[in-house]
Amino acid sequence: MRVTLEELCKYFGPVKAVDGLSLDIQDKEFVALLGPSGCGKTTTLLTIAGFYKPTSGAVLFDGKRVDHLAPRERNIGMVFQSYALYPHMSAFDNIAFPLKLKGVARRLRERKVKEVAALLRIGEILSRKPSELSGGQQQRVALARALVKEPGLLLLDEPLSNLDAKLRITMRAELKRLQKDLGITTIFVTHDQVEAMTMADRIALLNEGRLQQVGTPVELYRYPANTFVAGFIGTPPMNFLPGRLVSAEDKLTVVTEHFTLPIPARRLRQPFPGEKEIEVIFGIRPEDIVLGQGAIQGEVYVVEPMGKDALITLRLGEETLKALVSLDLHLHVGEKVNLNFPPDKVHLFEPGTGASLLGGRRES
Amino acid sequence: MRRYVERTLIYLMMALISAPFLSMYIGFFLRAFGEGSLLGIVPQRWGFSNFQFLWKPIAWGLGRTTMWAALGNTVLFAVTSGVVVTVICMLAGYALSRIEFPGRNFYLTLQLMLHAVPGQILLIAIFFLLLYVGLLHRLPGVALARASLEIPLGIWIAKGFFDGIPWDVERSAMVDGCTRFQVWYMIFLPLVRPGIAAVFIWGFLFAWHDFIYVYTLLPGTIKVMSTLIQSLLATEVIDYGYLAALSLIYALPPLVLFVFLQRALLKVPVFGGKGLG
Repeated sequence: MRVTLEELCKYFGPVKAVDGLSLDIQDKEFVALLGPSGCGKTTTLLTIAGFYKPTSGAVLFDGKRVDHLAPRERNIGMVFQSYALYPHMSAFDNIAFPLKLKGVARRLRERKVKEVAALLRIGEILSRKPSELSGGQQQRVALARALVKEPGLLLLDEPLSNLDAKLRITMRAELKRLQKDLGITTIFVTHDQVEAMTMADRIALLNEGRLQQVGTPVELYRYPANTFVAGFIGTPPMNFLPGRLVSAEDKLTVVTEHFTLPIPARRLRQPFPGEKEIEVIFGIRPEDIVLGQGAIQGEVYVVEPMGKDALITLRLGEETLKALVSLDLHLHVGEKVNLNFPPDKVHLFEPGTGASLLGGRRES
Repeated sequence: MRRYVERTLIYLMMALISAPFLSMYIGFFLRAFGEGSLLGIVPQRWGFSNFQFLWKPIAWGLGRTTMWAALGNTVLFAVTSGVVVTVICMLAGYALSRIEFPGRNFYLTLQLMLHAVPGQILLIAIFFLLLYVGLLHRLPGVALARASLEIPLGIWIAKGFFDGIPWDVERSAMVDGCTRFQVWYMIFLPLVRPGIAAVFIWGFLFAWHDFIYVYTLLPGTIKVMSTLIQSLLATEVIDYGYLAALSLIYALPPLVLFVFLQRALLKVPVFGGKGLG
């Protein structure tokens, strides 16, 4: 099922929970709605499901408006963060419930429940009540209940956040595989960028009700459209430093208090005419900083070993930067190091709007 | 040793506080099962002769009735009231808990205010209302009027139970294909069984205890337990043992009902869920 959001707005009184969201989700696509709490991602999901009426704008399924349809008429399956199983029914009855409401005959109902239970490997626990199931099992039952009616669209509201860390990693892979095997269009709401990066075909990143950027995980990581995206995607987050972009004799240079760095002109989104300079925010990811070479001088402030890598906090005068480097470098606190920012890896943003000044090349 | 003294003091205090009630209840039981009392207080021997109304008709004033007829009327009256209160409060409680509509908060406040008004001031209005709809002097009609008095607070009790069910459960049911009514009937009602018991007891108990409504709105020929006891008091010769035995029978059914439903009342389901995202 193709899902289209057209200038979708949902206001609660003066609060603009979702503000002008346009998004096109292809058939069989796995899209993550990502953002911090209160960014409007759950509101968007509940509007797609039909629990909220949009203040303005439209939701379209396969090109047809569905605003007038009740949730039960939209042919969707949904899994909630709390799983929301019916406590008074066994796992079997929970899964069979949507079929029972559809009036599917008992024999067929049993067969379908068994099938989906086998798919999710919960055949053994069908007679148990939700209170007798572990969190992981409850989640599988909730997923089975959403899948059993073969919905055209699967909506997942933070389904992994109540699982322990280890199980979450297992379920991440399983869910991704399952989605591809079944080919159900899926919208996945999460605040965890790792979940979104690892599972989704495309990510729609929201903040304060507005869409910040939509694209593949790699696009969002490599070509963030603004400082919000740059700071949200990637762990540890991107370093930001104030600076100026200077154009002189067709050469572009970033000038900050502590270093100057040439920028290839081809990377600019818009040509930078004549001789002038503007204020910019300079950004570099911790993992892109090269230590041990280059002309910039810094001092090691903190070393946090993380197994293979170490997270180094560096001081450049008053500014601090995080760098993710190999543990083999054996850096010590107080040590002076040379560092380098590869010009292809740096990011530049406009201070006012936060918009990226560098072009977002498409991945091929 | 100090603990022992403290304990004793606590029990002593508790005994002192409960002494007036306990002595009344003990006197009540002694009277009911005592026969041929001396000076109206000290029973001569034990027996069941005070319970003769169980098999003999009761004489009061000029008429005669049996205890069983009065008890039957009381059960019919209280059960009707309990059922009416339960059905209406369960529907209204769900709506007020889950559906947004203009005037919802006003309505909720109004219900509380209505409950604060003493029901007796409505007696005359109810009298005429029942007269016009042809339900005056009829047990089901008066039960309906009696039920209406307990509905305001009953709605609040029911709403409290519905409020405890996470929104996600309701949304799940709606995605799964439930209409509003199906959500209420198939998901919510089974989950608020303790609430149903609580609201039913609410409606039942107040009707069971009621005197002023049945006394005013029913003809003297239709007796419930409370009016029967009153009419016995009004006769000239009062046999207190007889009255105590009758009152004991009157007090028994609510007690039994409570013991039966107590387990349901204590069995409150436990949920975990995220609220509005």
